[in-house]
Amino acid sequence: MSEKIISVIGLDANPVIQIDQELCTGCLRCVAVCPVDAIEGAKGQPQTIRQDLCVACGQCVQICSAYASIFDEGIAPREQKMAERGLLSSVKEPLFAAYNSGDGLKVKAALSDSDLFTMVQCAPAVRVAIAEEFGLPLGSLTPGKMAAALRKLGFDRVYDTNFAADVTIMEEGSELIQRVTTGGTLPMFTSCCPAWVKYVEQTYPELLAHLSSCKSPQQMAGVLFKTYGAQVDKVAPEKIFSVSVMPCTCKKFECDRPEMNDSGYRDVDVVITTRELAQLIKDAGIDFLDLAEGKFDKALGNYTGAGTIFGVTGGVMEAALRTGYELITKEAIPDLNLNFVRGGEGIRKASVKVGDLTLKVAMVSGLKNAKVIMEQIKAGTADYHFVEVMCCPVGCVSGGGQPKVLLPSDKPTSYANRTASTYVHDANLPLRKSHDNPAVQKLYKAFLGEPLGHESHHLLHTQYVSRK
Amino acid sequence: MSTNLNGFIIADPNKCIGCKVCEVACSVAHVDKEAITAGVIDAPLITRLYLVKTATLTMPIQCRHCEDAPCAQVCPVGAITQTKGKIIIDEAGCIGCKTCLMACPFGAIDFVPVYKNGEVVIQNGLQMETADGLMEKEMVVASKCDLCVDHYGGPACVVACPEQALKMIVPKLEKKKRNVDAAISMLESVKRFI
Repeated sequence: MSEKIISVIGLDANPVIQIDQELCTGCLRCVAVCPVDAIEGAKGQPQTIRQDLCVACGQCVQICSAYASIFDEGIAPREQKMAERGLLSSVKEPLFAAYNSGDGLKVKAALSDSDLFTMVQCAPAVRVAIAEEFGLPLGSLTPGKMAAALRKLGFDRVYDTNFAADVTIMEEGSELIQRVTTGGTLPMFTSCCPAWVKYVEQTYPELLAHLSSCKSPQQMAGVLFKTYGAQVDKVAPEKIFSVSVMPCTCKKFECDRPEMNDSGYRDVDVVITTRELAQLIKDAGIDFLDLAEGKFDKALGNYTGAGTIFGVTGGVMEAALRTGYELITKEAIPDLNLNFVRGGEGIRKASVKVGDLTLKVAMVSGLKNAKVIMEQIKAGTADYHFVEVMCCPVGCVSGGGQPKVLLPSDKPTSYANRTASTYVHDANLPLRKSHDNPAVQKLYKAFLGEPLGHESHHLLHTQYVSRK
Repeated sequence: MSTNLNGFIIADPNKCIGCKVCEVACSVAHVDKEAITAGVIDAPLITRLYLVKTATLTMPIQCRHCEDAPCAQVCPVGAITQTKGKIIIDEAGCIGCKTCLMACPFGAIDFVPVYKNGEVVIQNGLQMETADGLMEKEMVVASKCDLCVDHYGGPACVVACPEQALKMIVPKLEKKKRNVDAAISMLESVKRFI
C-alpha cells in the first residue's frame, strides 16, 4: 500500500468552535458535555477552548444558553459579532457565547457566481431536523422539501450524502470481511465521524490501524462529485463548487484536512450546518413550509434506507450488517430491522451469526464512552470484530450543527423524534440495502470497478496521522 | 379582604450557576409564536427576570408581586393592577413614564421594545430626531414577570432551570410548612428539657 504524505493540521489556525468572552458567564454546562475536556476556565469566568484537544463536535454550541441581550452594555454590537461568526446579515436568531464558524456567506457567493457549477450534498440527519427551524414539530421528516429548497437556492445538482453512505457500506463492509478473513487488525473501527477520528489521532495514535481506511460519506461524495460527477454532468472539475450540508460542526474540520484532495482539487469546498442551511433558505426568501416535494438528482443522489440510518447511533453497523450478511452468506438477511444494534447514549454489544461466523460488534454513542473500549483493546481483553463510534449523544441527529433546542426539557424529545423519523424514512424507502442501490451498482460498473479496487483505494480510502 | 397572598418566584443563589436558561425560557415563553429551536426566533430575546452576577453571588431577580405593590401605587395611568393573584402590567395602557421602575425596590421592572412577527412596533405619533432627520420611534413599555399567565405548565423559568434553583412560592403553604417544621424542631428541643 502506497503511503500518502499527510501533514498534520490542527484546529489552532482555523478554529471551528469558539466561546465569546463577552457573553460567557462561566456556568460550566459546556464543560460537563465536552467529551474531551477541552474547555478551560474558572467557575463564573469566561471559558476558553483548547484547540489542540477540541474535536469540534459542537455539543457546547448546543447546550450554551448565555445569549447576547439587547440590554447588555459594553459588549460589541450585534453586527460585529455576526461578522466574526461568519453569519449572513439577515440572521435574526439570538447569539450565544459558544458558537461555530459560519460559512453561509461563501455558499451565497458561490451560488451567485455563474462561472461555477454548484453541487450540494446533505447528510442523513439534516432531513429529520431542518424543518424545526421553520416551526414544524421536532424531528419532522422533510427530504422532499429539503431537496426543493436546495434547488430553489440555485444549486445545479442536488446530490446526497446518503448515496455516498451506501458507497461507504460497499467499501467498509468489504474491508471488514477482508480483515476478518485475512487476519487483519481487529476490531475495525468505523471512520465516518470526524470527531472520533481526531480523538483517536490525538489520544490513541497507537490504535490508528484499527480505524477503517474508508473516508467518511461526506468526503466520498466530495471526491466523487469532482471525478465521476464531473463525467456524468459533463462539466470540468475545476468549475465544480461542492457544498456539503451537515448536522455536524466537525465536518468543517474534516473537509479542511489537507489530504482531502484526491479528486485533484479540494474535494468538498464548503461545509455548512443544518442551521446555516435554514439561514440561507430564509435569506433567499424561500417559504420552506409551502414548498412542493422536490427530488434529488439521479447519478449521485439515489439512496437506500441503509444510507439514511447513518444518521443515528447503530446505523452504520446496521447498514453494514444488512450488506455484509448477504455478501458472506449469499442469502437474504431474515429481518432487515436489526433492533439489537439500535439504542441511545452509551455502549451496546451484540453477537450476530453470519453463516459460520459469529460476528461480535459494539456500538458506542457519546465519545466519552469510547475510552472504556479503547482501554480494553490496549489490554487485549476486547474480542470485537467491528466497533461503531459516534461522538454525539445519539449519533448525528444530535450533532453540534443541528437546530439548537433552546430548553433542556425539549432535548430528549428532539433526540427521540429525529431518531424515530430516521427509522420511519428507512422503513418506507423501496430499497433498504446499500448493495441494492442501482446508482451505486452503476458507479462501480462504469467508474470504480470493485470495492477496495484500485480506483476505490485511490479515491475513497485515506490514512490517519498521530497528533500526540 | 382576601387572605390569599400573591405567589412569587425566587431563586436559590447557592444552586444558581448563572447559565441564563431561565432568561431564555422566560423570553421564549413571552414571544408571539411557539419557538423550540433558536432558528425560529426572529426578534431579540427579552427576559422578565434578570440574572445578577457579582463577585460573590449569582442569581436571577424578578417581581415579588407585592401585596401593596408600589409600582401600582405610583402608576399615573392605572396600568398596573392585581389580577388573579398576580400584579400585571397592561402594556397597551403603559405610557413609559418609568415611575414604576423608580418605585420597585427589586428593580423588577424594565422598559423594553415590543416585537410582532419579528418586527419592532413603532409608536403612532412621537418622532425622534436623528442624524438622518426625523425618524419614527419604537414603542417602549414596562415589562416584568407575570408568572407566565399564558404559559402551559406553569412558570417557564422554574421548569427550565437545569439546577432546580428556582421555586414558585405560595406564601400560605410556605408559612404552614414552616409552622410544621418549627413544631417538629420544637418537639426535639422540648424533649431535652421535659
